[in-house]
Amino acid sequence: MDASVELDRVVMRFGDFTAIEETSLAIASGEFFSFLGPSGCGKTTLLNIVSGFLTPSAGAVRIGGEAMAGVSVNRRPTAMIFQNLALFPLMTVFENIEFGLEVRGVDRKTRRATSERLLALVALEGSGPKRVTELSGGQKQRVAIARALAVEPRVLLLDEPLSALDLKLRQHMRVELKAIQRKTGITFIYITHDQGEALNMSDRVAVMSAGRIQQVADPMTLYRSPQTGFVAAFVGENNRLEAKVIDRQGERVRLDGGALGELSGRATAPTPLANGAAAALYVRPEHLRPVAPGQGLEATIEALHFEGAWVMLETRLAASGEKLRVQLGHELSRQHLEALRPGQNAHFGFDPEDAVVLPDDGGPALDEATGEVVEAGHV
Amino acid sequence: MFRQLKARFGGPLAAAILALLGIWLIVMVTLPQLQMIDYSLRPNLLPAQLGGPEDRWTLTNYVTLFNNEIHRAIFFKTLWSSVLVTLLTLAVSYPLAYYLAKLASPRQAALCLLLLIIPFWINEILRTYSWFIILAFRGPLNEVLMMLGLIERPIRFLSGDAGVMVGMVYAYILFMVFPIYNAIESLDDNQVRAARDLGAGTLRTHRRIIIPHAKPGIATGCIMTFMLAAGSYAVPALLGSPGSRWFTQIIYNWFFEGGNWNQGAAYAFLLLILCIGFMSLVMKVFKVGLGDIAK
Ligand SMILES: Nc1ncnc2c1ncn2[C@@H]1O[C@H](COP(=O)(O)OP(=O)(O)OP(=O)(O)O)[C@@H](O)[C@H]1O
Ligand SMILES: [Mg+2]
Repeated sequence: MDASVELDRVVMRFGDFTAIEETSLAIASGEFFSFLGPSGCGKTTLLNIVSGFLTPSAGAVRIGGEAMAGVSVNRRPTAMIFQNLALFPLMTVFENIEFGLEVRGVDRKTRRATSERLLALVALEGSGPKRVTELSGGQKQRVAIARALAVEPRVLLLDEPLSALDLKLRQHMRVELKAIQRKTGITFIYITHDQGEALNMSDRVAVMSAGRIQQVADPMTLYRSPQTGFVAAFVGENNRLEAKVIDRQGERVRLDGGALGELSGRATAPTPLANGAAAALYVRPEHLRPVAPGQGLEATIEALHFEGAWVMLETRLAASGEKLRVQLGHELSRQHLEALRPGQNAHFGFDPEDAVVLPDDGGPALDEATGEVVEAGHV
Repeated sequence: MFRQLKARFGGPLAAAILALLGIWLIVMVTLPQLQMIDYSLRPNLLPAQLGGPEDRWTLTNYVTLFNNEIHRAIFFKTLWSSVLVTLLTLAVSYPLAYYLAKLASPRQAALCLLLLIIPFWINEILRTYSWFIILAFRGPLNEVLMMLGLIERPIRFLSGDAGVMVGMVYAYILFMVFPIYNAIESLDDNQVRAARDLGAGTLRTHRRIIIPHAKPGIATGCIMTFMLAAGSYAVPALLGSPGSRWFTQIIYNWFFEGGNWNQGAAYAFLLLILCIGFMSLVMKVFKVGLGDIAK
């Protein structure tokens, strides 16, 4: 059964506001595909277009190769798990799960057998006669999954389904969701603004910003080789250093970091980096290592946060005054760590393989309150 | 309750408030009702006979209804007609309430509610008279229908049940719309979307999701409308007589034309029992408690 989902030049406008810029995307049958992006970037809107709650202003949606234009919500081979679950509070667990089957005219016996089987799948045997209001958060979550699976959708749409759960339960449910996806072979389209969730569960992730897909890649590639400044800043943590291109050989780019001297890194984007062009070098805190004085970047340690498994240093570059965050792991000896004190100077270097060079986009917009990345920079 | 009041107003003031409330309930509500029960259980006597051997409790006044064929017929007709008014009002109000609560934009809803409420600033008698004019044999409704060629001869809407139905649905629609509107309003939109997503069509979504959620509102609306309809005097008097007689008119006659207060009180209590019976039936059918309705 073909459960692929295709978006073909889809655009969504609300009045003058364009919530989704022209987007084309092919999600393979049986894939666990995530949309990752900050609040308001259009994730839910995109999901509503696939489920049929919204009709795109332009473009087409195909599921299993079939065009979905004119196919109403209740006739699409999709099922949605809502952010607030939207279980039916006046019904029992059984009735909730069997609702979709009742609609399809399945007889009582078959319905009950199906719901029993699904309750076993989500490890809730024996909870069928309970009212959904009697269940805990995690149990409700499972009922919502069972209810959606009952209608045997080809595509399951999940809108931040774990956001209401506490951390422990969230991590547990991640594993379960992934297991259910593997067992059923259904295409999962998963929305989240939690990058841990997206990287952890997905086959591929689309990172979105302001109605535009920034990059689609498997989690490893996304982390290792971000193709836009937004992805570099939004996924994981990154230090951003501005520089000018000296020259480029294959992937390797040599940069003139001004006061910082010569830097080099790896080009990941298909966009050309002309000699002399403004560029940004991204290097992750965990890729920085202490090096002997005279090498690497000299920085003053301003603060030190002990996190158990690692130490996060907040430093300021001696040459340019820019901030540089450095994460040092357990491989450093204790003496070495103890030598790092606020106010001291240290030198940090990195392997050019671990640094990413992208055209300068002016830097991403940050949320003033939280410092989180909310929107891509504009070239 | 005393503790809450005490916390807010202090002991003496709380006691005073409760005492006033108690006096009001006893003197203004309970005692007059007890007096009426007492009336209804005594025969109608001349002043000279009061306190005499015949002045004792009996159920004769209540039995009258069951022996008087015409009164009995009117009693049951009032019951059925009120049920019908309730159902008609429900049929009109539910879609309206749903539209107001879920489909209309805030502006549309506000406008619609205003249009619904404005007529209620006008006295019930006047409102009913305006229907009297509209529905008259040579009135505008018949004119329009004839002009459109829908009917050949004017229809006699008034002095019959049709006029009463129209008048009552109109008079009590707000009492049905508001409780249902409130109930539907509180329904999470995602419930409806989830039902549709699972394949349910419009009818099933209403039957399985929206109506069950709105049940307390529907029950409240039905009870209020029924009580108002069964106890209505002005509408049947203006739009129904002489063809359609209402039980309230008979009670009125006992009190003010027959001068038989005892008989009138007994009939009034029978109407009250009817209403309470209907209310309990509705609550049972809808499986809602008094608490749900009071909400
Ligand atoms: N019906 C609508 N009318 C007008 N604007 C809308 C509508 N629905 C969404 N938008 C706008 O489209 C943008 C994207 O909304 P959407 O709900 O898709 O965001 P999201 O990525 O799901 O965010 P969140 O993570 O907060 O749920 C927002 O700016 C929102 O205000
Ligand atoms: Mg959303």
